[in-house]
Amino acid sequence: MVSKKSYLREPLIIRKPEGLYCPKARAYIDPWRPVDCALITHAHADHARAGSRQYHCALGGEGILRKRLGDHDIRAHTYGEVFALGEVEVSFHPAGHVLGSAQIRVDDGHSVWVITGDYKRDSDPTCRLFEPVTCDVLITEATFALPIYRWPSMDQVMDRMFSWWDHHVRNHRTPVLLCYSLGKAQRIMAEISNRSDRSVLVHGAVANLNLEYEQQGIELGQWERANESQKSISTDLIIAPPQVADSAFLKRFRPTELAMASGWMQVRGVRRRSTINQGFVVSDHADWDGLIRTIKDSGASQVYATHGETRVFTRYLNDCLHINAERLETAFGIEAGTDQ
Amino acid sequence: MNFVALFHALDTSQSTNSKRDALIAFIRESDPLESALAVEALTDRTRGKRLKPNALKQTAYLAFGEDRWLFEECYGAVGDLSETLAILFADQERSPEITQPVLADWIHRQEELGRLELGELANELLSLLKAFSKDEAFLFLKLSSGGFRVGVNKGLVHDAVAQAVAMDRAIVEERLMGDFIADGDWLHRLRSPVTQDELDARPLPFLLANPLIKSDLSSLDPSTVLVEYKWDGIRAQLIKTRETIRLWSRGDHDITEQFPDIVDAAARLPPQLILDGEILAGRPDHLQSFSDLQTRLNRKRITHNLLKTHPVFFRAYDVLRRDSEDIREKPLIYRKEVLATLAVTQSPFSLPNTPEQIEAMRESAREASAEGVMIKRRESPYVSGRKVGHWWKWKLDPMTADCVLIYAQAGHGRRASLHSDYTLACWTSDGDLVPVAKAYSGLTDAELKAMDRWIRKHTVQKFGPVRQVEPRQVFEIGFEGIARSTRHKSGLALRFPRILRWRQDVGANDADRLAHFETLMRDSHAV
Repeated sequence: MVSKKSYLREPLIIRKPEGLYCPKARAYIDPWRPVDCALITHAHADHARAGSRQYHCALGGEGILRKRLGDHDIRAHTYGEVFALGEVEVSFHPAGHVLGSAQIRVDDGHSVWVITGDYKRDSDPTCRLFEPVTCDVLITEATFALPIYRWPSMDQVMDRMFSWWDHHVRNHRTPVLLCYSLGKAQRIMAEISNRSDRSVLVHGAVANLNLEYEQQGIELGQWERANESQKSISTDLIIAPPQVADSAFLKRFRPTELAMASGWMQVRGVRRRSTINQGFVVSDHADWDGLIRTIKDSGASQVYATHGETRVFTRYLNDCLHINAERLETAFGIEAGTDQ
Repeated sequence: MNFVALFHALDTSQSTNSKRDALIAFIRESDPLESALAVEALTDRTRGKRLKPNALKQTAYLAFGEDRWLFEECYGAVGDLSETLAILFADQERSPEITQPVLADWIHRQEELGRLELGELANELLSLLKAFSKDEAFLFLKLSSGGFRVGVNKGLVHDAVAQAVAMDRAIVEERLMGDFIADGDWLHRLRSPVTQDELDARPLPFLLANPLIKSDLSSLDPSTVLVEYKWDGIRAQLIKTRETIRLWSRGDHDITEQFPDIVDAAARLPPQLILDGEILAGRPDHLQSFSDLQTRLNRKRITHNLLKTHPVFFRAYDVLRRDSEDIREKPLIYRKEVLATLAVTQSPFSLPNTPEQIEAMRESAREASAEGVMIKRRESPYVSGRKVGHWWKWKLDPMTADCVLIYAQAGHGRRASLHSDYTLACWTSDGDLVPVAKAYSGLTDAELKAMDRWIRKHTVQKFGPVRQVEPRQVFEIGFEGIARSTRHKSGLALRFPRILRWRQDVGANDADRLAHFETLMRDSHAV
């Protein structure tokens, strides 16, 4: 038996009741309870919670974080900028998940730990591409850590989406695409405008975030906030968060045809159980290949998996790739099924 | 339009109207051989499995090598073997072919694959799947292994065929019963006049009963109905032509081969006859349970020994054709008279005068090894399907027990990847949990989803798609009968068990004991 490496005897990151904690920085990463100092990977609700005294985040995510958290002390850092916090150096690196999402690198001079937050390896016109960061210990998500989750290309998905859209317009139904309002909605809008001059109507929750994206120079194509007074079938695609599926919001556009864009749509039963007829496989998380590629790229000799299919993933890393891996229970991803 | 396009339209719709429209368009536009094979699959007539589930599994194992466990995890997450393989091995970037017919070619390939030795089969199937789109791979595998369900019932297919060929629905339904030859001439045959011989040999659409609600009883004039027991067997039509004797089940399957003893007994009957009745286990004076009947099903060979230990007989309760004459329009009371002249075991009936007499007969049903009573209007014609006002079924109240959930498995079809198939257990006198029933239905969608989350969080161990869970959830199950069984660890077989309610108010320790079932069995005389 090889003796445990020093960075594991004295871990840089530990789990406390409030969240993942770096004692040497006296800071938490995506804490689920209010703390003194919080490092935030991205602004989704299960990672960014209000009430802490001070926040650090990547520059691109600052505006969204302010919208979500309200008036807080938020310090934004450019990607790659190294800043000192307590006895360690901290930097934010692109995670490719949504605008301003970051991996967080922590270095105490003896070892380097990286917390990925949520991430994907595919390109996305609305955010910087994931950049691999080498490290000794990688703390990763594992939302879709099963070989059944391999994402189709965006070309394939958009082809299908356009023919679905046209089919239902021809049959006098309003096409409605349900997806997460931060990140997924903007990504799909940008992909639509890259391929066509089609226009979309968006729910208010999406519209507010769109403005933030556009302020940062990200092109989202032709869109309008769905008008409160409109009461008719729309030939424009409606983009709205999944929560509105049964709400009054959609009634105005009846008859409607619902589709969902999510990684979970890869499995037929998940869609068939819902009231949604069509599913498009689009995820802002890494798929199986993306997760494994990331582990390999990092060069880490120790991996912790925080949420998702952690049991399968750690077994695969240990048994098949011979990389030490353990599960680390967190409160991330607890809004299961929403595929943030 | 081909079958892949049809499936896509059916799968992305939940409205009956759009499903019907898709079927009509498909039957009108597609190649007639393609539509014949599609109708065969959609009406559950595919005979046997061209590829066995094991062949599909071996294909996956071949691809996963030493990481077989990883495949089992995938299967567990998806819940459907065909879909799991389709997701894992098909080319996701490929768009399916949606115009050229596919089914004849697929069936041919499946038969060829089925003839290969297992290792070679796995190799061939794997390379075949890689050339398919995901939908194609899924459909190819689903069709090869039987049990294909896509939320379309027979009635809807009959509706669509009738509309597509502009024929009367009742005629289409009758002509699609019995032997179905899936070839390019099927639509032509459907439109052609039917010969006397064909009419003699073809099963007729079954008349189905509606459940009686107790309040119906007061509005019913007892002197207009007859009452007989509701027998717990397999509903079937016995058809005797000049040449053959055949048995057809309600699902329109030819089940003659399973029951040579019934065929022998029918030698005494006149030809050109169609009877409606029930296949029952045991002898008329001493019935055996439904689970005894089940041992006669799905056998490759019916041995002499089995015929002796598990005898069956046909109890007739209606005549639909006699001497080639269709007498379905005649009143039931007349048909019963005709039946009485025939040398076949009959279902005795009584002509009640008061509601109390009907109730009394129902009370005596369990003693007669029946599951309730049938109330039939004396003047009723034999119509097709579940029409109101002709036949009512009034079952005994189910027996019940509180059981503990110990295993859960993902369902199929709409419930794939949702853990909806439960194995339920009761306590032995030694304080162990022993499984007594598998139950699939009875919970609301919301309850199923809540339980699915609970199951995923409280899994103790996984065996492929089956999860062993902490024994904490209690469900009240209802069942129609109970019999001894050597096939089950508990020594008991329950008839038609289903979940009545989720007992969140009952702790696992307060679930029922095996002794409770023993008592029920004694009381029901079904030992």
